[in-house]
Amino acid sequence: MSNTPIIETENLTKTFKHATEPAVNGISLSINRNEIFGLLGPNGAGKTTTISILCGLFPASSGKIMIDGKDFRSEPGYIKQIIGIVPQDIALYPTLNARENLEFYGSMYGLHGKELKDKIEDWLKKLGLTDAAKRKICTYSGGMKRRVNLIAGILHSPKLLFLDEPTVGVDVHSRNVIIEHLKTIHAEGTTIIYTSHHMEEAENFCTRVSIIDYGKILTEGTPAELISKHNAGNLETVFLNLTKRKLRD
Amino acid sequence: MIYKLLATVKKEALLLLRDRVGLSILFIMPMVLIFVMTLVQDSAFKTVNEKGIPVIFINNDHDSLGNQIEQGLRSNELVSVSDSIDGKPATAEMAQKAVSEGKFLLGIVIPKSATDAIRKNVGVLVNETLNNDATTIRKAAAKQDSVEITILIDPVAKKSFLLSVTSNLREFISEVKTKIMFQAFADQVSEIIPDKNNTPKDSYKKSQIITYKEVYASETEDKIVPNAVQHNVPAWTIFAMFFIAIPLSGSIIKEKNEGSVFRLHTMPTPYLLLVNGKIIVYVLVCQIQFLLMLSVGQLFLPMLGLPALVLGNSMLGISVLTLATAFAATGYGVMVGTLASTEHQAAIMGSLSIILLSALGGIWVPSYVMPEVMRNITAWSPLNWSLEGFYKLFLRGGHITDIIPEALKLTGFFIITMAVTSIANRKKRNV
Repeated sequence: MSNTPIIETENLTKTFKHATEPAVNGISLSINRNEIFGLLGPNGAGKTTTISILCGLFPASSGKIMIDGKDFRSEPGYIKQIIGIVPQDIALYPTLNARENLEFYGSMYGLHGKELKDKIEDWLKKLGLTDAAKRKICTYSGGMKRRVNLIAGILHSPKLLFLDEPTVGVDVHSRNVIIEHLKTIHAEGTTIIYTSHHMEEAENFCTRVSIIDYGKILTEGTPAELISKHNAGNLETVFLNLTKRKLRD
Repeated sequence: MIYKLLATVKKEALLLLRDRVGLSILFIMPMVLIFVMTLVQDSAFKTVNEKGIPVIFINNDHDSLGNQIEQGLRSNELVSVSDSIDGKPATAEMAQKAVSEGKFLLGIVIPKSATDAIRKNVGVLVNETLNNDATTIRKAAAKQDSVEITILIDPVAKKSFLLSVTSNLREFISEVKTKIMFQAFADQVSEIIPDKNNTPKDSYKKSQIITYKEVYASETEDKIVPNAVQHNVPAWTIFAMFFIAIPLSGSIIKEKNEGSVFRLHTMPTPYLLLVNGKIIVYVLVCQIQFLLMLSVGQLFLPMLGLPALVLGNSMLGISVLTLATAFAATGYGVMVGTLASTEHQAAIMGSLSIILLSALGGIWVPSYVMPEVMRNITAWSPLNWSLEGFYKLFLRGGHITDIIPEALKLTGFFIITMAVTSIANRKKRNV
C-alpha cells in the first residue's frame, strides 16, 4: 500500500448542470505519499472543482478516483476519515470562539475527551492563539481566522491534507507561521495538496506542481524542472507564459 | 457516534444562545402575542359585557308596553339604556341621528298609544269571538291596527352581532306584547264571566311551557369555560412553535454561506446526524416555549384580570401533542432552510408560509366561521391539526386517545418534511 500513490485519478471530468463547458476536463493525476503537490492555475481554471471532487463534496461526471488505494464510491467513510480540508472560505462559526469551533470540528472527526482537548490546546499554542481562544471568531483578524481555519482541518492528523488557498488575504507574519507549520505537518508524514495564486510561495513550498487551465493540465513537474523546461527565471513566468497572461473573471 | 451527536447539539445550543434576534423571535414574540391578543379579545367582550350595548330608548307610549320594555331593558346587563341625548329628552328623529352617528348601537322607538291599541284590538277580538262565527272573527282580526315598534340599527355594526341582539330584542318585545294582550284578554273575559275562581287573570305568570338550560358539551362538567385565554394560549403557542422555522432555516442557510457545510460534507459524519443535532435543540426549544406560554396562561394572565388557563384532564395528551407539534415545526424549519438558497429567501418563505398556514389553520380566525371551501383547505394545515388537538384537550376535556389522530398527522408531516429535505439535499449536491 505504501508504494501506491495516495491519489490517482484517470480522465477526471466534471461538467456542471446547465454549463456548456466542463470545469474539469480529463485530468489524470498521480500524487505520491508525502508530496506537497501544488495545483496552480488562474481563477476558474478548475482547481477548487478538482479538490471538491477529491474530497467527495460532489461526484465527478466521469473518470476514476482512487485515494489511498480505495474507491470513493465504495469506501467514502474511510477516505473522509483520512483527509483534512482547509477551504478557501473561512469555514468557521463566527459567533463561537476558537476553542468551541475546534471542539465541534474535532468531534466530527471522531476525536473526544482529553485527546481532543490536548490537541486543541497544542495547536492553539503553536499558532499563537491561546490568549484569543475564548474570543468569538467574528472578532478575529483575517490572519487569525486563517490560522483557526487551518487547525480545524489538521486537528485529526490527516494522512492527506487539501489546502485551498490557505494564505489568501493574510499578512506576512501569519503566512510565514502557516507555511512553517505546514512544513512541519508534511515532515511528520502528511501528503499535502495545495492550491495558490502565490507563485513564489508555491515555488518554495511545493515538491511538485501541476499548472492547470480550462480544466486541463498544461504542465507538471517539480518547480525546478518546470523553470528549466520552459526556460524561465521563476515559476511565475512559467505560469504566465502557459496561461497567456489573459485577465480572468 | 454519540459524541458527534452531543457535539452537534452543543454547537447548535451555543449558536442559538448567542443569536439574540432569534431568541427574541422564539420567546418574546409569542409571549407578547398571547398578552396582546388575549387582552384585546377579552377587553372587547368585556366592553360589551360590563358596560353593555348602548341603546337609545324612546318611550312615546308611556303605558304598560313602553314601560315594561324599558324596565326589562334596564334590568338587563347586556344593554345600557339611555332616554336622553346630550341632556335633552330624546325624540325619534334625534335617536335616528344619534344612531347614524354611532353614538348608540341600537335605538328603540315605542309609538304613542301602543298599549291602548293592543288593548283595543284585544277587546274587539274578544267580543267578536264570543258573539260571532269564525269568518267574522277572521275579518275582525284583519281589521286590527298593528303596533309598529321601530328598531334603529347602526349601519357600521357587524351584521352577525346585530342579528343576534335584534332577534333577542324582538323576542323580548313580543313577550311583553303577549303579556299585555293576555292581560287585556283576561280582563275582558273577567268582565263577561265574573267567576273569580276560574279567571286566567294571573295564570300566565305562573307557567312557563319551555325552559332552556345551556351546558358546554365538554367532559369536564363545566370546569372549562371557553374564553379568550382558552382559545388564544394554545393558538399562539402553536404559531410560535412553527415560527421556529425562521431562526432554524436561517441557521441552515448561514452554515451554507459561511462555508461550514462545505467542510461538514467532507467529514466522516452523516449529514443526517448534523440535522438531528439541530432537531434535538429546536424540539427542546419548542418544549420550553410551550412551558413558558402555559405559565403565561396560568400565572401572568390572571394578574391582568384575565381568567387562568385550564389545562384539562390529560397531561400525557398535552405532552404527546406538544412533542408531535414540535417535531412538525422543526421538520418544517429544516425543510425551508434546505430549499431556500439565501437567508432572505428563507426568512420570507418561512414567515409568509407560517402566517398563511396559521390563517388557514384557524389561529387568527376560527375555522368554523370560514366558508366550506376554506374549511376543507384548513384540514390540510398542520397548525390546524395541532390546534384541534389542543382544543380537544383544553376545551373538550379530551384524553390521550382523543388526540392520537392529530399526533399521527403531525408526525407524518415531520416524516414528509425530512424526506423532502433529504431529496433536496441530494439534488443540490448533485450539481
